[in-house]
Amino acid sequence: MKNAIRDRACITVVASVALCLALTVTSFTAAPAFAQTQPTKVALSVADKRVVSAFEKRVKEYARLRERIESRMPKLSKDASPEQIEAHKTAFQEKVRAARAGARPGQLFRPEIVNVSRATVKDEFKGKERQELRRDVLVEAENKTVPVRVNYPYPETQELLEMPPTLLLRLPQLPKQVRYRFVRGNLLLVDRENGLILDYMTDALP
Amino acid sequence: MRRIVAAFVAAAVLAFGGLAADTHGQKNSSAGVPAKLSLPVKDGSTRFMVVGDTGTGGKGQYELAAVMLRYWEAFPFEFALLMGDNLYGSEKAVDYKKKFEDAYRPLLDRKVKFYASLGNHDESNERFYEHFNMNGEEYYQFKKGDVSFYSLNSNYMDKKQLKWFEDKLTGDTSDWKVVYFHHPPYSSGGKHGSETQLREVVEPLFLKYGVNVVFAGHEHFYERIKPQKGVYYFISGAGGKLREGDVKRGSPLTEKAFDKDLSFMLLEVVKDQMHFQVISRKGETVDAGVLMNQRKKSATAAK
Repeated sequence: MKNAIRDRACITVVASVALCLALTVTSFTAAPAFAQTQPTKVALSVADKRVVSAFEKRVKEYARLRERIESRMPKLSKDASPEQIEAHKTAFQEKVRAARAGARPGQLFRPEIVNVSRATVKDEFKGKERQELRRDVLVEAENKTVPVRVNYPYPETQELLEMPPTLLLRLPQLPKQVRYRFVRGNLLLVDRENGLILDYMTDALP
Repeated sequence: MRRIVAAFVAAAVLAFGGLAADTHGQKNSSAGVPAKLSLPVKDGSTRFMVVGDTGTGGKGQYELAAVMLRYWEAFPFEFALLMGDNLYGSEKAVDYKKKFEDAYRPLLDRKVKFYASLGNHDESNERFYEHFNMNGEEYYQFKKGDVSFYSLNSNYMDKKQLKWFEDKLTGDTSDWKVVYFHHPPYSSGGKHGSETQLREVVEPLFLKYGVNVVFAGHEHFYERIKPQKGVYYFISGAGGKLREGDVKRGSPLTEKAFDKDLSFMLLEVVKDQMHFQVISRKGETVDAGVLMNQRKKSATAAK
């Protein structure tokens, strides 16, 4: 009888220790606080991941091109005057435009990444809690009178539509110099410094 | 006769000399109704201004800037936080001057530093501008006394920025953590309202790392939001543009709001207290109060 009680006590202690260890390991490997807020979404297939990876590689090639061009220009100081900022942007824009004179729609946004991105955006915008977001983005995006042309500048007088943060977490990741922007139903890639539209995909919004 | 004329001329000079103004109507001296401060003005305190959506280059911006100068003379704040939309429309060199530099020249001359964040009307290149003190970055952190300030880019809250923010917050032992950016996580505005998507990704970090106060703009009014999960929120977006009557009446979020005129905020941090005062274009106080440091409050309560 005493042995049975002792055995049950041992099992209880061992189980408690195991539970504590499991909880400790879980807390050390917990995702960053911001990632914990993401609702469960449809995961990308292996094929989709390859498509995304190829797209990210193409955009990085653009980033390397513009870095090479910028490295040959006078460096813009962190304490620049307005004249210096304006001159730098104008010169940078002209040089990159010239280097990408043959740029056409679809060179970055190839059909396969367009399909993956459309599906991601559609998935992100579905559901009751996203209806308001969808309405806000559609209405604001619709109002943009930005001429959507590859290798032309995004007009500086046109305000930027805030990109939904939860969507940014799901779209293919871009180098810091390149941004996504919604304009009407299109999703653009825009250089944040020279303002050039690098490419765009149509029918981006569900 | 000559004496009468001389007296008249002298009187005219005295009467009009104090009203000398530049072409935008801004006074270079602090004429007008004296500032009525409700801030303690303690030695060694951290003093700053908060204002947003300034960059119109219009009459209203300049008039409000004149009031800022008047209050600076009574309360010499060291620096200012800009909530974004620093330049509306074009951003040529002449625009930087008209929409920012000329309006705040008297404050710049008195060594007030402006720390800007980017709004949806701002180009990324503003981060290189000498007077925005962004150090070439779209998001950055700096410290004044025991207060840590985080300037974020809410136009593009991507994974990189969130990681940077969390990495910075980890190990930040400052007494006060103040975060500011353009789009308000909580708002009673009719035109825009709360940025719930943004809130979804930043609020967990605020709560996890003990952020005390959040300032934002984008809405063209002033609003003090009721504390949300223990964090204080303010909207100060009427520095140049006003959306009159835009605050939804009866909003459960509002502690206090002012949408009748342009306004800015003055703040003073003295140990565990953050004093604030909100001033309108007429120089009148439209809100004022004291925020207690939440961590010190709960530590005191626990004793």
